[in-house]
Amino acid sequence: MTEPVIVTRALSRRFGDLVAVRDVSLEVQKGEIFGVLGPNGAGKSTTIRMLCGILDPSSGEGRVVGFDIRRDAERVKERIGYMTQRFSLYEDLTVEENLKFYAGIYGVPRNRRARRVADVLESAGLGGRRTQLSGTLSGGWKQRVALASATIHEPPLLFLDEPTAGVDPVSRREFWEQIHRLAHGGTTVLLTTHYMDEAERCHRLAFIFRGTVLDVGTPGDIVARRHLRGAELECEHAQEAAERLRSDPEVDEVAHYGNVLRVVTKNDVDPEAVVARMLTGELAPESVRPVRVGVEDAFVSMVRADEMAGDAGALKAAS
Amino acid sequence: MSLRPFVVAWKELLQLRRDRMTLAMMIALPLLQLMLFGYAINTDVRHMPTLVYDQDKSAESRDFAASMVATGFYDVVGHVESYTAIEDALRRGGARVALVVPPDYGASLRAGKPAHLQLVVDGSDPQTVASATNTASGLASARSTELLLARLAASGNAVEPVGLEPDTWYNPEVRTAVYVVPGLVGVILTMTMVMLTAMAVARERERGTLEQLIVSPVRPVELVLGKIAPYILIGYVQMTVILLAGRYMFDVPFQGSIVLLYALAFLFIAANLAIGLFFSTLARTQQQAMQMSFFFLLPNILLTGFMFPFEGMPRPAQIPAEALPLTHFLRIVRSIVLKGGTFDDVYLELLWLCGIFAVLVLVSSLRFRKKLV
Repeated sequence: MTEPVIVTRALSRRFGDLVAVRDVSLEVQKGEIFGVLGPNGAGKSTTIRMLCGILDPSSGEGRVVGFDIRRDAERVKERIGYMTQRFSLYEDLTVEENLKFYAGIYGVPRNRRARRVADVLESAGLGGRRTQLSGTLSGGWKQRVALASATIHEPPLLFLDEPTAGVDPVSRREFWEQIHRLAHGGTTVLLTTHYMDEAERCHRLAFIFRGTVLDVGTPGDIVARRHLRGAELECEHAQEAAERLRSDPEVDEVAHYGNVLRVVTKNDVDPEAVVARMLTGELAPESVRPVRVGVEDAFVSMVRADEMAGDAGALKAAS
Repeated sequence: MSLRPFVVAWKELLQLRRDRMTLAMMIALPLLQLMLFGYAINTDVRHMPTLVYDQDKSAESRDFAASMVATGFYDVVGHVESYTAIEDALRRGGARVALVVPPDYGASLRAGKPAHLQLVVDGSDPQTVASATNTASGLASARSTELLLARLAASGNAVEPVGLEPDTWYNPEVRTAVYVVPGLVGVILTMTMVMLTAMAVARERERGTLEQLIVSPVRPVELVLGKIAPYILIGYVQMTVILLAGRYMFDVPFQGSIVLLYALAFLFIAANLAIGLFFSTLARTQQQAMQMSFFFLLPNILLTGFMFPFEGMPRPAQIPAEALPLTHFLRIVRSIVLKGGTFDDVYLELLWLCGIFAVLVLVSSLRFRKKLV
């Protein structure tokens, strides 16, 4: 098998006393769409910056597109595309000028530049907006131009840092179709996101929390490993019912929207049984139905478990 | 060497072309400054409002007052009859100078006795005092010499003991504009070059495009070269505008080699761009960059010899002033434009500029690290 597009071993980064990223070891294969999930400040951006070669790791090592991120940062930069949630375009340049600029910066040969620009304009459906100033585009169109700019030099690896933040659902869907087309064509994509529906569209995921990778795997594997089950119920006294359910050790999480409760249980325990046991009398639900647990449930469960472990550790240290 | 600096320069030019406001400012600013400094600011004191308190009212006293008006320094704005009236006028600002002629002035002169005149000057503005007293005492001593010679001539012994013939070179009419306009080239270049580069990088940082560039394979030196090249061009345009306007609006002569001046200006422009880049590494926003540039402008106007003579400053002020590129460029531009200076006359200043530039480039590139946003 060929070398993975991204390999890291015990990659860490400290800022003074703060450990932003701790011992991250990952492997991403060619053509994969790899999602990095985690709350704000978990270390996602720091990890991406190290992988792009713009931030030196404090310890550990990494190879990206076959080059060492510390020693050959410049070689790495030539072979990756990078797009942030800010869609860093020159707003006072037209769509085409932005693309030409990045084509020049990434050293697309002169004789192929016009062809490449025409191609990405075409595939992103931007033909009609070629001469429009980027600053006058709406969020969804800006995102398309940003993606087109990031792929103008046909990089084998694409980093997308929260690429769909602030973009409407239709644009988001089209964006994901484009991402899957790119991956199908052999481009490897590493992205961060907050949207759980997007996380489920990735081939594989890594969960990062407090600078540490909690789990890596396909969305299905990650969910399965948590052994969670879920149910949704309607209940008149939702508030009290939620309190009651949370007190049960088998219950992982109760979410509460109006008079609808969503309960997730641990250790493959049947949630309907827990509900039947815990909610009696006037708290008895009007209806209960099983629901599919997803990446979001797994994510919340993992973060909660880690927080509890962290708190327990802190208590131990204090005593 | 890759073509990336050209790509960056092409992009900067495109952005400049769209930014009509900045573009217009870059041309209008030198012209506006030229008008201000050339027309409005004038350190030659002329037409000072003057009162005459003539207690004598003789032909001699009227004669002296008339000779004062003839110099162009004094405008007689009124005749008064008391010291109180003079005091009132000086305090109100209605007059800056008053000539007091004692009652026996004419009689004393006719009798061949010493006569005295009094000049009251508003001393709140030191510059006025010097001009007002120097001119009047010049007139008085001229009149004395005249009388003395007349008397000696009567005794058949007419020879002026010591004569001083002032001969002012390079600016014979002592016009402020001639001195100020070449200096203005330096001030305008400092102002716009520092500000534009400081803001050009801060703008990219603010809009997030700097991060995009840092992730790209563009090297810092390529980025810097591409970014400053268009501004060097603008610097030369500004310089040409000022020199042409100076030539045709203020009759500022151009004595030396224009090629030499343009060649040496390159280093000066580069030094200012390096300062701008250094500021841009400190500023997080365009506003901060702008503030730093203005803060930097003040010592440039006050300490470099642009407005006040460098030689007149105390030593502790001269030392930091030597570190400013403008100090040396002012000497270069004045030497070449006004005195026809050649390379040999200015090479020392050129060495200074080289030294300053080298230090600035070192400091900026240490600060302008590409790693870490």
